[in-house]
Amino acid sequence: MADNLTINWKKLLTRILLYFSVAVICVIILYPYFVMACTALKTRAEIFDPNGAILPASPIWSNFVDIWTLAPMGKYLLNSVIVAGGSTIIAMLCGIPAAYALARMKFKGQTVFLGFIIVSQMFAPVVLLIGIYKVIKFLGMTNTLLGLIFINAAFNQAFTVWLLRGTFMSISAEMEQAATIDGCNRVQAMLRILLPVAAPGIVTTLIFIFINAWNEFTVALCLISTDTIKPLTVGINIFNGYNIIEWQYLFASSIVAIIPVVILFMSIEKNLTSGLTAGGVKG
Amino acid sequence: MRKNKPRTLLDKTEPYLWILPSVILMAIFIIVPIGSVFQMAFSEVNKAGIIKGFAGFENFEKVLTSSKFALVLKNTAVWTVCVVVISTVLGFILALLLNNAFKGRKIARAIVVFPWATTLVIQASVWKFIINTDYGALNTLLKTFGIIEANINWIPTPAAYFAWEIACGIFVTIPFVCFTALSGLQSIDSSYYEAADIDGATYWQKLFKITIPLVKPSLTVATVLNIIYVFNSFPIIWTITKGDPASRTDTIVTYLYKLAFLNSKQGQAAAVSVIGFLILLACASVYMVSTLKKGDE
Repeated sequence: MADNLTINWKKLLTRILLYFSVAVICVIILYPYFVMACTALKTRAEIFDPNGAILPASPIWSNFVDIWTLAPMGKYLLNSVIVAGGSTIIAMLCGIPAAYALARMKFKGQTVFLGFIIVSQMFAPVVLLIGIYKVIKFLGMTNTLLGLIFINAAFNQAFTVWLLRGTFMSISAEMEQAATIDGCNRVQAMLRILLPVAAPGIVTTLIFIFINAWNEFTVALCLISTDTIKPLTVGINIFNGYNIIEWQYLFASSIVAIIPVVILFMSIEKNLTSGLTAGGVKG
Repeated sequence: MRKNKPRTLLDKTEPYLWILPSVILMAIFIIVPIGSVFQMAFSEVNKAGIIKGFAGFENFEKVLTSSKFALVLKNTAVWTVCVVVISTVLGFILALLLNNAFKGRKIARAIVVFPWATTLVIQASVWKFIINTDYGALNTLLKTFGIIEANINWIPTPAAYFAWEIACGIFVTIPFVCFTALSGLQSIDSSYYEAADIDGATYWQKLFKITIPLVKPSLTVATVLNIIYVFNSFPIIWTITKGDPASRTDTIVTYLYKLAFLNSKQGQAAAVSVIGFLILLACASVYMVSTLKKGDE
């Protein structure tokens, strides 16, 4: 009897400890976002007050309105959508056939190609920036969104091919073979039979590329100099000057930039982690 | 199925047509830049970035003999090791916590995703604001709760700045480790634990004899990827200190960015790139061996 009681106490205690530690961690993780939200709703004077309060005295919602006129936020947003969308489309158009060939065909050089795919993800664009700049300049794509689109698509290619190959390989080839006997060619078999079945894996892949391209900063910082063609990540730094930082506007525009991504990310998080460890790729 | 058919030329070339777009894309935007970086590293390059002739190892000599480079290398090593090791330990502990069934687990998982999904520039800007001495959020918070009386200078030295940058790096890296570990944890067959319970194993015995060995493969992949990812990380340091003062918080990537695009020393920047590239290649080969091994199992 007494023994049972101590076990119950112990269980309760570990339970409390579990909830407590998870709660503490969640609070710490959310703290920067809380700071961001509070600051975005303060006046400039409130923010720079050395004895300021945590919460805004009264929320200044107009900060969220002002950012659209103080900076070309609409343009930034549109540029981010174009870059992320364009990169996703190109990465998928190139990646799907390559992944299909790797999953369904045998050919010389397959291992070499696969090896290159694995190695290529090791090189973030930062280390190659000088070379990338030269190539983009040669192609006449400096200061254009098209240049950013191609770079993002290329550097996400490894992830795309690797994850899609895994998805395709997990689907039996029988249905496609039956379709080819019925007179479909390979392209038709892939488009009509394989891709619909592989849809969940494809969606996960394309959302992840979209997020990667949306969050990309370094290449955009280096290649884009005209303000109106900057994507959000670079553009919002207009409020982060050398001498004056307009924190309220910086964080208001940051929140605008974060929201779509967090929602997208939550929708794929579960599929993604299993795919990542299976494929071993982080974008 | 195809065995009986004679292989035509089209059959042989077909796979290559399928991979062609992908190969072209990566050739132009990854392989050519790699080649170009190597070429520039061994060339004399003028301020406009135009190659003036072969320079041998001159650029490397300049880089390696510069007083800053040893510091930059040391910073890069400290940055990479601290962020990777600490985030791996903390991420794994967090995964162990989240692997328990409890109310609100879904919400907790969703919250942990936040730092992963947020672009690093924004995350770093918030940290810069939090640690500000005069009006930062951390001082405001501590004062409101009466823990401190007057504002504390959280960043008295460059080393303190660097420590905060490392903390920020850890913060944004934990979710990736946590989720990879979590997917590893969830694939462990519960019968192992049941058997251990019957044998009267303690929590710690189960952790070290069952959990850690079985999660190790996915943690290894995550760790190697993190080494590469953290090594290459540019936005956190760039946003908080830009590597200043005097390279005291520079890592290889911020250093090379400044050399190339602010100081117009593209030849030397290319040499730094090549050095970084070689370090990464060493990591990549370790990674490739472990991945291919994993594929064989």
